[in-house]
Amino acid sequence: MDITVIALALILFLVVFAIIQYNKLIRLNIQVDEGFSQIEVQLKRRADLIPNLVETVKGYATQEREVFERVVKARAASTTASTLPAVAAADGALTNALRGLLAVAEAYPDLKSSTNFLQLQEELATTENKVSFARQFYNDTVRSLNTAVKTIPSSLFVGLAKVGEREFYEVDDASIRNAPNVKF
Amino acid sequence: MADFRALESVNKRKTFYLLFFMAVLVWSISYLAITYFGGTGAGVIPLAVLITLISVWGSYFASDKLVLKMTRAKVIRYEDNPNLFNVVNEVVIASGLPMPKVAIVNDPAPNAFATGRNPENALIAFTTGLLESMDRDELQGVTAHEMAHVANRDTLVSAIAATTAGIIALISDILMRVLWFGGARNRSHQNQMPIFLAIIPLILAPIAATLLRSAISRRRESLADATAVSFTRNPAGLRSALEVLARDNTVVEARSSAVAHFYIESPLDASAASKLFATHPPIQERIETLRKMEANPLSSN
Repeated sequence: MDITVIALALILFLVVFAIIQYNKLIRLNIQVDEGFSQIEVQLKRRADLIPNLVETVKGYATQEREVFERVVKARAASTTASTLPAVAAADGALTNALRGLLAVAEAYPDLKSSTNFLQLQEELATTENKVSFARQFYNDTVRSLNTAVKTIPSSLFVGLAKVGEREFYEVDDASIRNAPNVKF
Repeated sequence: MADFRALESVNKRKTFYLLFFMAVLVWSISYLAITYFGGTGAGVIPLAVLITLISVWGSYFASDKLVLKMTRAKVIRYEDNPNLFNVVNEVVIASGLPMPKVAIVNDPAPNAFATGRNPENALIAFTTGLLESMDRDELQGVTAHEMAHVANRDTLVSAIAATTAGIIALISDILMRVLWFGGARNRSHQNQMPIFLAIIPLILAPIAATLLRSAISRRRESLADATAVSFTRNPAGLRSALEVLARDNTVVEARSSAVAHFYIESPLDASAASKLFATHPPIQERIETLRKMEANPLSSN
């Protein structure tokens, strides 16, 4: 009699414990998905800003063709990328190209003081920050998930939850990693 | 040691200890009330708990609306200040929290605060003085500090601290009155403890509760600084914002100790309150901690 009560309590405890661990893994995995879609949202925002920016700069700095071409090309590459490493690589290339474009703008005082450009600059500054914060948030969620996948007790339920380690979003550019707050 | 993860866990642990002391204090004063005052004491406890619960938790649930009224802050929309909204939006993405309401207080003294019972009902407000005196990075640092209060549920923590401190103050207050008016009669037939043994704790307990409450508030401020760095990974922004606040001598107009704990910098005169009763750690100390984080690669990564 006593033993059955203890056994039942033990089973109940184990079931509740398993449910908590299972849910934790599922929740962390969903957070990683959400984090990645946030990066995509912000990258799309940035891609949408670029045609306008390029047109504005072109109006003042006609001879800087190479710079424009690099930006347009990088933008095209970033809109077609789909897998995580490809998205990250295209993202890094576009960030570099944009930095080149804004460096060019520095040499044209008329352009720098035009209201249209100032507004675009603020838009781009905030979008760059959002992109880098979205990356950082995604990497933090991956970090929590991977820790849960590798550590006991949650690691015991990995098979049950069909959840595994996920990839970090790594931009292949040292200057980006060192300076998430891009200043223009 | 000077990285934000370590600082966050230290501050969380210390908050826990402080809240534990608060609980011990409530327990001791209740114990004293019952042993020394018998039936009267036993009746006072539920009364004090009830009054405090109603007043504190009423204001907790309406915190966003109440604070708006007390500080005369106006909620704004994106069109009113796109740059500020952009900065808030960036921190929202970094923190993974929902977008809070944004408000502006018409006041030349630079300051900011956050309130709301949960992240879904959060509100962060900036004074016009703050918006004028800060650049983009500094504003981002201040926003991150306020969003850190939201993330760490500091309205809830301060409501719990206010409840326990309120219960202690009320029990002491009522029992002092009982002692004053009718205590002698009670004492003669049921207790042989000398009267000062009851009076001293009754005087000291509310002071101890206020000290604990201030200590909790200071812990939460340090925690918010560390969490802010975990959002922006840019301790320099917040540090330079605090330096602007430290240089500034103007004091928030609608100042009141009732809302002091909401602000990023204490809106009350620093000289008026001793360090032990302060709701915020000394601003130079906060700047030093952030400087140490700047030297740490993890924070600026």
